[in-house]
Amino acid sequence: MLVAPGQKVRSRVAWRGMNSLVGAALFVAPLLVLVAIWAIVVPLFNVNPRIFPSVGSVAEAAVAAIGDGSLIRHIGASMLRVGLGTFLGVLVAVPLGIAMGVSPAVSAFLTPLFRFFSVLAGIAWIPIATLWFGYGFGAIIFVIFNAVFFVVAYNTLLGVSTIPMTIRNAAASLGAGRWALLTEVLLPGALPNIVTGVRTGLGFAWRGLIAAEMIATNVGLGYMLFVARDFYRTEVIVLGMIVIGVLWLFIDRLLLVPLERATIERWGLVRRT
Amino acid sequence: MKTLSLKNLRKTYFDPYAGSQVTAVHDVSLDVEQGEFVSVVGPSGCGKTTILNMIAGFIPYTGDEILIDGNLVKGPGPDRGVVFQSFALFPWKTVLENVGFGPKMRGVPKDERDRTAREYLALAGLSHAADRYPNELSGGMQQRVGVVRALANNPAVLLMDEPFASVDAQTRMTLQEELTRIWQERKPTVIFITHDVAEAVFLANRVVVLSKGRVLDQIKVDLPRPRVWDHLIEDETFKRLSAQVLQMVRAA
Ligand SMILES: Nc1ncnc2c1ncn2[C@@H]1O[C@H](COP(=O)(O)OP(=O)(O)O)[C@@H](O)[C@H]1O
Ligand SMILES: [Mg+2]
Repeated sequence: MLVAPGQKVRSRVAWRGMNSLVGAALFVAPLLVLVAIWAIVVPLFNVNPRIFPSVGSVAEAAVAAIGDGSLIRHIGASMLRVGLGTFLGVLVAVPLGIAMGVSPAVSAFLTPLFRFFSVLAGIAWIPIATLWFGYGFGAIIFVIFNAVFFVVAYNTLLGVSTIPMTIRNAAASLGAGRWALLTEVLLPGALPNIVTGVRTGLGFAWRGLIAAEMIATNVGLGYMLFVARDFYRTEVIVLGMIVIGVLWLFIDRLLLVPLERATIERWGLVRRT
Repeated sequence: MKTLSLKNLRKTYFDPYAGSQVTAVHDVSLDVEQGEFVSVVGPSGCGKTTILNMIAGFIPYTGDEILIDGNLVKGPGPDRGVVFQSFALFPWKTVLENVGFGPKMRGVPKDERDRTAREYLALAGLSHAADRYPNELSGGMQQRVGVVRALANNPAVLLMDEPFASVDAQTRMTLQEELTRIWQERKPTVIFITHDVAEAVFLANRVVVLSKGRVLDQIKVDLPRPRVWDHLIEDETFKRLSAQVLQMVRAA
């Protein structure tokens, strides 16, 4: 059967749209069920609000926190930290990862080291970060930087070292010099791995951020949780937990997953982990 | 005019498993005229890829010299276009960008290199695929892109290492016919490496038979062009030449 190209594309786009709608519904449904159970169980067993809040009180806390601007201030502070730390981490990790990946010997030597530090990434650095940078912005940025840096550098290295030699040779025989090899071959060739690295690293960073904010600052989502605990404000704690989870899902689903798809699927590259 | 000249090429590898030296190329000298199509045929392991990689500059050569238009080879360069068995297209670039890559490296402005790339894509019957990515194409189409990508850069020599070995037999015959047609139109200088005797004879003006790292013999192929399998398969001269080359390869 002959199909006009435009027609084929349009039906594919429509199908994708349907698909993502169904996907979103399937994703949200279990969460709604959880909320429903929560709404039934808390009044049913007359749970003490100091132990766990009701759905209504969390909703009220949300309205209050939005109304007085405190929620948006905490979110803003957390996002700024995570954004800056990630930006710095990627900025240093990608060139370093590429430089290391170009040489098989260097990459073989550094791979175990980077895997080791990738596992440690994030929370485990908090105590020493506060010793080095004191309690505050610096320590938190350091923790996030660390979470992102090792994972992204390791993945970049992996991405570069798995670009087939023939592709590098092809570029060289078409006249590519060192710089062109870097920008036209190594960077795009490693990009799917870099994106995967950023996604994993940001996951570590997000957890690390919340933990670091609990002890090292006076604003941010982690701080919001920690302070609420002192006043037995379970509805604020739960609100914060929901915001942390939902924000992460938004970052991951709306930013990272599409980015990963755009590179890996479009180019037909398999993620190499 | 001599475009390519190999003088006493040699290459010895260290085989880490055997713990000893392996001589892949003993002593190879070869001159190729401008616009000539030379097939190099020989059994697997006889050093074909090693020779091609030395000419391409992918591995440092040993021996006397390799000259391209009178210049000594120093590493890879755009004067030698390479077509790979594994295609080696850039997966992150569209077909048009792949073909325009060489001109881009020379600093040709985008409009102009797109025009050049489209012209070469038309030559290979690929105009409709310009905006697709390599992974969306069949193997045969990918290698057509591989060939015109190398050609679009106007190399002094086109180096092809078993470029059609990984496509199916039907497609291979079509690609061979297309290559002879493109060669007739553009007259590039070609070194075509293969282990397939019929392919070597079908394509070339001259067949060089390689054995254990040495040139065993050379045969001129004066078959008329355009070359089409339907005609040549029954052609007496083609059969005789193929039998002759096959005998040499098998004796080797
Ligand atoms: N990098 C290498 N290290 C060691 N031995 C090699 C290497 N490359 C090729 N050889 C050996 O050199 C010989 C010729 O190989 P090659 O040039 O690939 O032959 P062909 O392309 O004709 O099949 C073979 O015996 C092969 O095992
Ligand atoms: Mg070979």
